[in-house]
Amino acid sequence: MEGFPSYKQLKTQSFPYLQLAFKTVRKERGRSSITILLTALSTAMLIFITALMDGEHQTLLKSSVELYSGYINIKHNKFRDEPSIEYLIRDSDMMVDKLKNRDDIQAVSQRFDTFVLFSTDSRSVGGMLSGIQPESEKMTSKLKLSLLKGKYLQADDKDSLYIGSELAKLLKVDIGDRVSFIGTGSDYSFCADNLTVKGIFQTGLFEFDSQSAFLNKSYFDKVFLTESLATEIVLLPKNIDMADKASHSIQHTLSEELSSESWRESMKSLVKAMELDAIFGYITVGILFIVILFVILIYTFLTLFARIKEIGVLRAVGTSQREIFAMLFAESITLSFIGVVVGVLIGGGLALYFNINPIEFGAEFEEQFKQYGFINTAIPTDFNISNIFRDGLIIFALSIGSTIYPIIKVNSYRPVEAIHHV
Amino acid sequence: MDSFLRVQSVSKIFNRGEAGESFGLKDINLQINKGEFIVISGPSGSGKTTLLNLIGGLDSISSGKIIFNGIDISSLNETELSDLRRDKIGFVFQAYNLISLFSARENIEYVMKLRGFSQNECDMRVDEVARKLGIVKLLDKLPANLSGGEQQRVAVARAVASKPELILADEPTANLDSRSALELMDMMERLNREEGITVIFSSHDPMVIDKAKRSIILKDGHSLIDSF
Ligand SMILES: Nc1ncnc2c1ncn2[C@@H]1O[C@H](COP(=O)(O)OP(=O)(O)OP(=O)(O)O)[C@@H](O)[C@H]1O
Ligand SMILES: [Mg+2]
Repeated sequence: MEGFPSYKQLKTQSFPYLQLAFKTVRKERGRSSITILLTALSTAMLIFITALMDGEHQTLLKSSVELYSGYINIKHNKFRDEPSIEYLIRDSDMMVDKLKNRDDIQAVSQRFDTFVLFSTDSRSVGGMLSGIQPESEKMTSKLKLSLLKGKYLQADDKDSLYIGSELAKLLKVDIGDRVSFIGTGSDYSFCADNLTVKGIFQTGLFEFDSQSAFLNKSYFDKVFLTESLATEIVLLPKNIDMADKASHSIQHTLSEELSSESWRESMKSLVKAMELDAIFGYITVGILFIVILFVILIYTFLTLFARIKEIGVLRAVGTSQREIFAMLFAESITLSFIGVVVGVLIGGGLALYFNINPIEFGAEFEEQFKQYGFINTAIPTDFNISNIFRDGLIIFALSIGSTIYPIIKVNSYRPVEAIHHV
Repeated sequence: MDSFLRVQSVSKIFNRGEAGESFGLKDINLQINKGEFIVISGPSGSGKTTLLNLIGGLDSISSGKIIFNGIDISSLNETELSDLRRDKIGFVFQAYNLISLFSARENIEYVMKLRGFSQNECDMRVDEVARKLGIVKLLDKLPANLSGGEQQRVAVARAVASKPELILADEPTANLDSRSALELMDMMERLNREEGITVIFSSHDPMVIDKAKRSIILKDGHSLIDSF
């Protein structure tokens, strides 16, 4: 039938317009390299910006989870909304012993948090004083690892204080200095004592470092009358990816007034805040990319109109509009693909490099960082293959998309118009 | 019997209804038989290019009909016109218009490949045509490395290689010196004779016009003289 290629034609069809497309890509070096460069640049940029944003969020999330709040925590239901000494975990020693024997749990520690007024000769500052179990706390939090100066607490410590670096600064105390406090005991009586600074820690979370100080719980219990009482129990699961499951299973063993939450549940608001922050980030990035893609669009327009005479000649000798479209589209796909691959390698390389060697943001960013809870201005980028792949695909689609309109436009001319176009 | 090519009261108006409205052709009537070797001549602006473009389906007709092989080409859509040009018509342009990235051989093969000729068929036909046009040694060169006369011979080879029924050549010799021009015309005349391809070309040059068996003279878009 006329119009349909015969089997012989199909078998021997050599698509000379595609041959021309690949020749154009290879021979028009300047044109090709600018297009590849633009695509590669946008890909690398998107991958790197994503890696940076995700890295920042994950650093914050991970540091706050691992630092102190823990992968699983048990609290009195009401304590979660209203942290008052009315809502305590009773018989906490027994519970801890029971939880320690679970197969899915690696470490358990109990804490008693209370607000006190710290004072020195010159200053008074409000803050959180917590009784912790120094040995198990080593496993469930990063308190010991955050040691900056002096020593971490021991099981037989008495009036030794482990204090946050920013709080120490506020109180103007150093190792060996005396700090006194006034607080409320579990029976609502006033409690006060003199403590000696044994160690100073710095976690990097500004809020935490400027408000927290720790005592050995066995001594704390004597002062505050909190023996076998806890405000929370923190658990480290054997497998942190199974925190939700372990938490769920623990919930069944608890009395009604207590609840167990995994980090995902207790960090819900932080996760939400980060997602929101990420959306704003993506909008900003999106605007940047609209500009870049506009540049690609204009550039494609220019290069295609520079070739409109050639296109007219090809049409005149019998190349159909579909074939011209296939030719120009093949060029666009090839260039975009190379550009995206180059961009993925560069962007992925940067994401990996700065994942291993966290980016050190200078001192000028310190104030801004403190607001977000960092003292450390070094942040590792997130190196996530599937995100990199996703970003590559996005730019691939967008850069091909931005060439379609110019292709359709040059293809819409009649052959004479194209040949004589100036 | 229907003739090979019939131009019936064809007019072409450029920029119709706009400020720059102008007549390219006015009421042209022509009848062309298979195997003819025809020149269209006339002063600059007389409509030679316009007429060839309309016959080749490169531009739209304002009124009238062009019947080619029994088909009214003004009734064809862009795809059908493309197919018609690919399968039945070869073009030779004044400015050669070779594909600059393709070698002479690849240029000549282009339309054949578009039509689905095998590489083997292409090779054989390219060699045959190249011999007739004296460009065997030039086949691997890029257009940029060829003289104007050589480029135009490659362009003629491209037009005839796929054995079209009609060749349309708009001032094919205008950019050539007189010797190359006459050589090219001799070769085209030979192809017309040996392969039975109908050739319509336009020219200003009396020496070139003289080569044609039939001459159509245009003036201001009118057909003045049609002489055999
Ligand atoms: N695209 C166009 N737009 C407007 N007018 C045009 C266009 N093309 C041709 N014309 C007009 O149509 C008329 C015929 O032009 P055409 O190019 O066919 O002449 P020609 O005989 O080929 O001239 P030349 O010998 O200079 O090539 C001229 O008056 C010209 O100005
Ligand atoms: Mg002309």
